Amino acid sequence: MNSIQKTDFDVLVVGGGIAGLQTALDLGDQDYSVAIVEKDATIGGKMIRLSKVFPTLDCASCITTPKMASAAHHDNITLFTYCDVNSLDRMGQTVTANVTQRPRYVDPDKCIGCRQCEYHCPVYVSDAEQGGFSATKAISIPFSNAIPQVAVMDVENCMLCGKCEKVCPTHAIDYFQEPEQFVIKAKSAVLTTGFELTPVSNKHQYGRGEIPNVIDSMQMERLLAPHGPYNRVLRPSDGMEPDSIAYVQCAGSRDKSMGISYCSRVCCMYAVKQAMLLSGSLPLADITIYYMDIRAFGKGYEQFYQNSRAMGIEFINGKFAKISEDENGGVYLRSKSQNGEGGVTASHDLVVLSLGMVPGWNPEGICPVSADSDHFVKTIRPALSPTLTDMEGVFVAGTAAGPKDIVDTITESGAAAIEAAKYMTAREHSRKAAASHR
Amino acid sequence: MTSLADNQSEGKILILATETCAYPGADSVGQAHSSYPANTFILRVRAPALFPEHFYLDCFNKGISGIIIMSCGEECPYDGAYKAMATRLDRVYVMMRQQELDIRRLRLTAICTVCNRAFLNEVNQMNKVVQELGPPQMAQS
Amino acid sequence: MADENKDKAITSKRKVGVYICYCGGNISDHVDVEKVRERIEKLPEVAAVRTNMFMCSDPGQEMIMEDLKSGAIDRVVVASCAPSLHETTFRGAISRAGRNPYIYEHANIREQVSWVHHGDKATDKATRLVSMATAKAEQLNPLEPIRVEAGKHVTVIGGGIAGLRAAKDLADRGIKVVLLEKSPFLGGQLASLDQIAPTGDKAADLVSDLAGQVLNDDSITVHTCSEVESFEGYVGNFRLGVKKQPPEMDPEKIKPPGAAGEAAGEFIPFAGVYNGDMPSVPAEFTVETGVIILATGFKSYMPSKGEYGFGEYEQVTTLPELIRSMAENKAAGNLMEFNGRKIRSMAMIHCVGSRQIPGIHPENEGGYLNEYCSRTCCSATLNVSNIIRTSHPGTRIFEFYRDIRTYGRGQEELYEEAARNQVVFLRFEDDASPEVVRNISHSGDFPLMVKVKDTLTFGEDVGAPVDLVVLVTGVEPNTISDLVEMMKLPVGTDRFLLEVHPKLRPVELPISGILLAGTCQAPMDVGEACNAAGAAAVKAAALLGRGYVELDPFVALVDLEKCGGTGECVNACLSDGALNMVDMEVDGQTVRRAQVTPALCLGCGVCVGVCPENAIEVAGWTLKQYEAMVDRIVAEEVTA
Repeated sequence: MNSIQKTDFDVLVVGGGIAGLQTALDLGDQDYSVAIVEKDATIGGKMIRLSKVFPTLDCASCITTPKMASAAHHDNITLFTYCDVNSLDRMGQTVTANVTQRPRYVDPDKCIGCRQCEYHCPVYVSDAEQGGFSATKAISIPFSNAIPQVAVMDVENCMLCGKCEKVCPTHAIDYFQEPEQFVIKAKSAVLTTGFELTPVSNKHQYGRGEIPNVIDSMQMERLLAPHGPYNRVLRPSDGMEPDSIAYVQCAGSRDKSMGISYCSRVCCMYAVKQAMLLSGSLPLADITIYYMDIRAFGKGYEQFYQNSRAMGIEFINGKFAKISEDENGGVYLRSKSQNGEGGVTASHDLVVLSLGMVPGWNPEGICPVSADSDHFVKTIRPALSPTLTDMEGVFVAGTAAGPKDIVDTITESGAAAIEAAKYMTAREHSRKAAASHR
Repeated sequence: MTSLADNQSEGKILILATETCAYPGADSVGQAHSSYPANTFILRVRAPALFPEHFYLDCFNKGISGIIIMSCGEECPYDGAYKAMATRLDRVYVMMRQQELDIRRLRLTAICTVCNRAFLNEVNQMNKVVQELGPPQMAQS
Repeated sequence: MADENKDKAITSKRKVGVYICYCGGNISDHVDVEKVRERIEKLPEVAAVRTNMFMCSDPGQEMIMEDLKSGAIDRVVVASCAPSLHETTFRGAISRAGRNPYIYEHANIREQVSWVHHGDKATDKATRLVSMATAKAEQLNPLEPIRVEAGKHVTVIGGGIAGLRAAKDLADRGIKVVLLEKSPFLGGQLASLDQIAPTGDKAADLVSDLAGQVLNDDSITVHTCSEVESFEGYVGNFRLGVKKQPPEMDPEKIKPPGAAGEAAGEFIPFAGVYNGDMPSVPAEFTVETGVIILATGFKSYMPSKGEYGFGEYEQVTTLPELIRSMAENKAAGNLMEFNGRKIRSMAMIHCVGSRQIPGIHPENEGGYLNEYCSRTCCSATLNVSNIIRTSHPGTRIFEFYRDIRTYGRGQEELYEEAARNQVVFLRFEDDASPEVVRNISHSGDFPLMVKVKDTLTFGEDVGAPVDLVVLVTGVEPNTISDLVEMMKLPVGTDRFLLEVHPKLRPVELPISGILLAGTCQAPMDVGEACNAAGAAAVKAAALLGRGYVELDPFVALVDLEKCGGTGECVNACLSDGALNMVDMEVDGQTVRRAQVTPALCLGCGVCVGVCPENAIEVAGWTLKQYEAMVDRIVAEEVTA
């Protein structure tokens, strides 16, 4: 899959999350050739790592894997995973990207995804794919529904014992693999570089990420996932089933002290969703959501929110001031309430920070496309053509252009695909016109 | 060298698994290397609503001890098929009673693509039922 | 049973080739692959069994291709990993060997055998799965994808911003478009706005820009004053009957365009762009089209009489009315004027006709509640408040809200700006809506008082004396019951059109070839509606790009020799029009028989289960194949 043979495409899609996949599928289905360059070892982005998705409560994997598989098997789509884009610029009529294929230390053409290496590897490392709650090996396939099903070696932790090389039935292990540079040329590009969670390590009010039973929302996604680390929801410090769980909304959004004044759009809904899933798996637990405004604005969202209230999820309007640890592993929450008595203090067994979104990619020094004051990619005609950037022939979709939920991301990806297709159609017309002129 | 493992007395379980949900769900159990009884046979189906009532009775007649229909449930890609399926099963249950077949031998459930635990649970439950009831005996076969 | 199989064997015309993969030990460590091979070789329909370390490798695939080319086999079974991984690989190999890819069946002996079972049980189960696959393969027939010729032509219903966007996107991709709009104007509800939040664009500019592009595009034919009267056909081949007639104009609101000499393409405030096409007599015509995009839009919620004093007090109005008044009277001044009155103090009440809760809010006249959030009103209101506070600093504003939902890019800034502009916010609970009453108790001559239990100030009972109350009315889908009926469109409980799946197929309906764009699906702002239109356009372009539509061959087939014409299948069918009873000649007699329209068939097989004659099957997934597989599960000789 990664043996680099073809490097000329109609469209380069930067990022293989749900936005990139949908854009690529919508372009590939129009017979444009598409390259997806993904920094991770698997496509699927954030969505494939979720448990269930609002407001339908479909399992995230069930919705993402069909799109991942369609892209992987599509005649017009080529995947480049585990690759970094070092530069992306327009040269005349061509968008040119300098790309580095990072070494997996596994030959992707030989690996058959059998995981023998993973089973035999003696080195256990913390599994980031499971929120750090469980362990994986120093050589592994990222997770069960990763695409491609190719193992990746964690060289930081590998102790070069050679076991994987010995057990690999296809001799795919290659300790001497080197980074590989190559150039992708395309007529057009779509930036679908996604988001990361707001970092909280410098926010002392949140405990800087050092309080064991204060976890972030993506970690809770893993605890709730049907194929999660514990197969049930336990709090990290002592494996206890939490009896009371609190959500702190706008943790890293609408917070000027963190330089993030915008709303991250999805946190209200995912908190409501997680609360509903929690009340299913821990029927006796009290679940409280501390919020500023509940922003349930999408199709079916308000009804979803009202259902959660009817289920007994408690919503308290208030801003919190500080989170600290109590002696029993509990989490002490002091909140400035908007609605009275000048402040609430409460203790919960587990606290989830509803973290917001920051851009997953900074174009500075890589690509001349402009970022806006919120650091997401700037769009120049947000009303009529929301996917246009200030670079000719370069479009943007999904959370690369600001926080967005999955539904809005998928729709916007379709819009970016038609913009790219229109751009190439117009160019083809002018090329033909020029040719007939000659 | 004929194994005793695969003999009739163990009771065979037929699983009708939808191609969009339950079949990949069974694959996911495999990827997790979670063991389950080997007397299970999975048929990939587009929608289990395809099977007429007599199909189930015929299966029992042929010696299948238990059938699990693993559907997509509410996530069914064919609008209305799940409801049609559920209604049909009600009739199959009536027919099973007429044949003096324990209706626990037939179960409709929903399995998603990563519902590993639910899958194992269903299979083990049915296996228990099948071991308890033994081979199906039809009243008028 | 065993004898039956033997009999079949003698008459078996098929030569099934079986290819069993070791998967480098993944299978062969738990399954005795060679033993499986020996047992499978004995099966009557099987002509060749081969094993390989990696069947998916090039040498493995070559083996299959050679056997097909040499004529040694005519059906293929590969036993390896899950079909999701390599089914397409092996179908591809068969195609490259010049054979039909549907003569293939997969046996999943890794994920469903070697990774979950061990020892003899694994070998026995693998044997059975392979024998089941060969039994099915014996009955497989070559299938051809159903190809439906499709006109490179799209009809967009609705000339609002989403309809215009979709039409222009498709025209730019070289696809001919007919745009049908029932009013005399293009621009829809956007034309009734002034300045758009949060981008600050002028609605007039946006509508003029896009409508101008549409009207100047030779690939787009615009019919205003036109409504769809009839509908038939299927993807690639729809026929729409359209009626074009002189509009019923509301003389209060809109002068008949053209009367004042408006030129085609001119923007008329609060109406839209007039395209110079005003029929004087009704006319009917037919449109033949490949894809239909519904962009039928929304209307503003109209409060019922007495709702927050609406219709009772003349000082209670709606946000759309306020926007219109402000656009028509832009004179600056310390106090804003509304209907000739100076407004010293005004109240904005949010969520009127939105977020209604059963048991708390009374049902609307039609017997429904709008439980959804209308999405756009928070930002629109804050935008208006900011304009008023900037241009008329003497006019005080109180906003009564439940949650401020400034979710989008640049929207939170509107909220912050409103706070800086000293807009006063009062927050109320779902079950404690504000009350609008005549102001009698307070000093001053404010005609109305808005009372609320304000949760921002310790649940205090607060009263705001005001000159004007503005109801922030939500969004409702346009009434399109005629189209819903005609095309059998699915409608959600919120009365908006209902997509197949919000993430998998967000702009599609179950009826192939009919797509959704914009606010007919859910409340959206301009940018979101344009994105939705683009998403619909890209689906249409992909569907029609090749001049034909290729559909899965897995559709129902009627065996006319068996069909008794009971019509059970037609009654059970989930896809309207996929199955019909038709008259046909059989042995010189006219009889009623079931007929499949493959382009409409979903291939779900519901019809198979109800046919009393077993006269209908789904190609590639027949009941007989399943029965043959079940026979192999119970057949004793397979693992003997």
